Amino acid sequence: MEFLRARRGLVAGVVVIVALVAMLFVTNQEQALVIGTISGSAYGLVALGLVLIYKSSGVFNFAQGEFGGVALCTLYLLHANDVPYGLAVVGALVAAVVMGFITELVVVRPLFEAPRVTVLVATAGVALLAIAIQIWFFDRQGRPIAKAFNTTDRVSVLGVQISDQRLWLIATLAVLAILLGLFFTRTNLGLAIIGASQEPTATELVGISVRRLSSFTWVLAALLGGLAAVIAVPDGGSFTPGVMTSSYLIPAFTAAVLGGMTSLPGAFVGGVLVGIIQSFATRAEVFGDGGALEIPGNPGTLMVFVVLVAVLAVRPQGLLGKSA
Amino acid sequence: MAVTDNVVEEAVARRSRSAGPRRRPSVAGWTARLVVWAAIAYVVLVLPLSRPGFEMQDFSRAVAYAIVALSLNVLLGYTGQISLGHAAFVGIGAFMSAYMVTAQGQSFCIGVLAAAAIGGAQALVLGGVSLRIRGLYFALITLSYGLVAEQNIFQIEGFTGGGAGQQAPKPEWFDTDHRYYYLCLAFLALVLYIDWRMMRTKSGRALLALRENPRVASTFGINVRLATLFGFVVSGTFAGLAGALLAHNDLSVSADTWSFNLSLVFVIMTVVGGLRSRPGLVIGGAFFALTPYIINRIPGFDPEDPDNLLTKVPAPFDLTPETARLVIGPLLLLLTLVRFPGGIGQQLRPITRWLAGHRFDVHDKGPKEVQITDVRA
Repeated sequence: MEFLRARRGLVAGVVVIVALVAMLFVTNQEQALVIGTISGSAYGLVALGLVLIYKSSGVFNFAQGEFGGVALCTLYLLHANDVPYGLAVVGALVAAVVMGFITELVVVRPLFEAPRVTVLVATAGVALLAIAIQIWFFDRQGRPIAKAFNTTDRVSVLGVQISDQRLWLIATLAVLAILLGLFFTRTNLGLAIIGASQEPTATELVGISVRRLSSFTWVLAALLGGLAAVIAVPDGGSFTPGVMTSSYLIPAFTAAVLGGMTSLPGAFVGGVLVGIIQSFATRAEVFGDGGALEIPGNPGTLMVFVVLVAVLAVRPQGLLGKSA
Repeated sequence: MAVTDNVVEEAVARRSRSAGPRRRPSVAGWTARLVVWAAIAYVVLVLPLSRPGFEMQDFSRAVAYAIVALSLNVLLGYTGQISLGHAAFVGIGAFMSAYMVTAQGQSFCIGVLAAAAIGGAQALVLGGVSLRIRGLYFALITLSYGLVAEQNIFQIEGFTGGGAGQQAPKPEWFDTDHRYYYLCLAFLALVLYIDWRMMRTKSGRALLALRENPRVASTFGINVRLATLFGFVVSGTFAGLAGALLAHNDLSVSADTWSFNLSLVFVIMTVVGGLRSRPGLVIGGAFFALTPYIINRIPGFDPEDPDNLLTKVPAPFDLTPETARLVIGPLLLLLTLVRFPGGIGQQLRPITRWLAGHRFDVHDKGPKEVQITDVRA
């Protein structure tokens, strides 16, 4: 009972997810659940990067989306030049990691003493630079991008039709989530990062260089952003320059805020929650043409905004965060 | 006792030295300043008369961007908040004015007033909803709102005229591009005047105080939320006004102009221009509006010429002047933040102080910056 009271945010989150899933099954929107889980896991991965950086540097990293954008461009270029898909994915992740490393070195480190709002503007500048270079190389049109798992047999799981490539994606994401959990709880490096984000001074005292860890944190966050991009975007079949910022960054921030900007599991759960809500809002007939509550344009964007404002207004410490 | 007297005497002496009778420039000094003032007035007021009309559209846009920079400065420079969705405020102002004039048949005056009012009203609602949120979270809310405007509000066909956009004819009396430019200049002067007067009132000084440290400001009896909301509403009003000017300058408004990228360009031009420096902000805004214009006029970069240098850049696609602006902007921003935090305004400060009748001092960097330390919350 005491445990439930201490974790009432988590309980509320789980209740909301269960209620949403039940509602989706009742209204025959199981597809929304599948799509929502995949895009939501990508939001969760981006949100993990955001939380890591926020905890280590105290910065809202608006370039987090474009780490994924760079990965997508590299993936596209390599695949177009007949590199096998697996190698192309590795190359894409390397590109994202290099960008994260350079961003930390050139932009974040010189601004170590600057106000946090200044650093925020700087990361937004990095994002715009990345988008501009993508527009330069690829113009503004959408480009087809190959899917990771290219078979389209349908499998039935618990009465829900899922194409097997999406099943593969969900399996990959599950393995990733477990690996990340192990990394942060079992390895020295993962524990050092958690330590540095919770108590930098104490971490220095036990002989860990927080500055060097900061650089590693950015690299790890960039890797997560790149992973999110190469997993989720090819499922839609095409990408446009800046897509990671315009359609992934804000849901990911909403997810991170749901986790109170401090909790790693909270950010991932928040991501899945936001993904399902968004996917439901996009497909729900109430919001569509001729529906009772017709919303012009993309209802998903509006729903994410509403969730963000509601969370910040009602429970700023998030579902899993500690109260300030 | 004697020691104390000495200290007091010295302090009084030092004070009278620094605040002593202000040094007045000589007749030659005034003449030199007058010549420079006249040259600036010539470039801004007379030189554009000799340019063709289609170039005037670029100049009018530069003036409107200067107003946008001043609007963002109220937020970024005075209250210390950051808006990453300012394109939404400017865009809704643009559509509001076009809608009033074209769909409702109202006059230009009503259109501009409606645009300014909707800008302020949006800020009031958005700020009211997120009143307890400051700093980084506020940036997040505004960015999310910008996306909502782009993907939901601008898709309302009755308001924005659908894919073709909304028509926005120029007002009577100002129907040529040249006359419209002077109208824009008049609005810029009005905004500059309001901004200047505002910072000399009690609420203006309250804004500055809470930017430096909200907690200290609140112990001095400043209502932090109300003051922030006030700054946000002023900023939104200026943004709506600039939007109306942009709409009637281009004769039509379409939804795809007001994107997230434009919001970032607005922030960049404000920071590069220099926070809290009116000349710097005007130059910053004008520079970013005119970047494509300037690039086109550098010898060898003429877009009419098929072998211009931009096509020589090795890339799968041509580098257009608009893309070049997107690439140059962030580079200038990072340079400004890392090397020259005061922006153009701080670099120009010796000259602007000299023009105002002070002694020329190359090392004048303006008042020392106070660090904002607790914006994390």
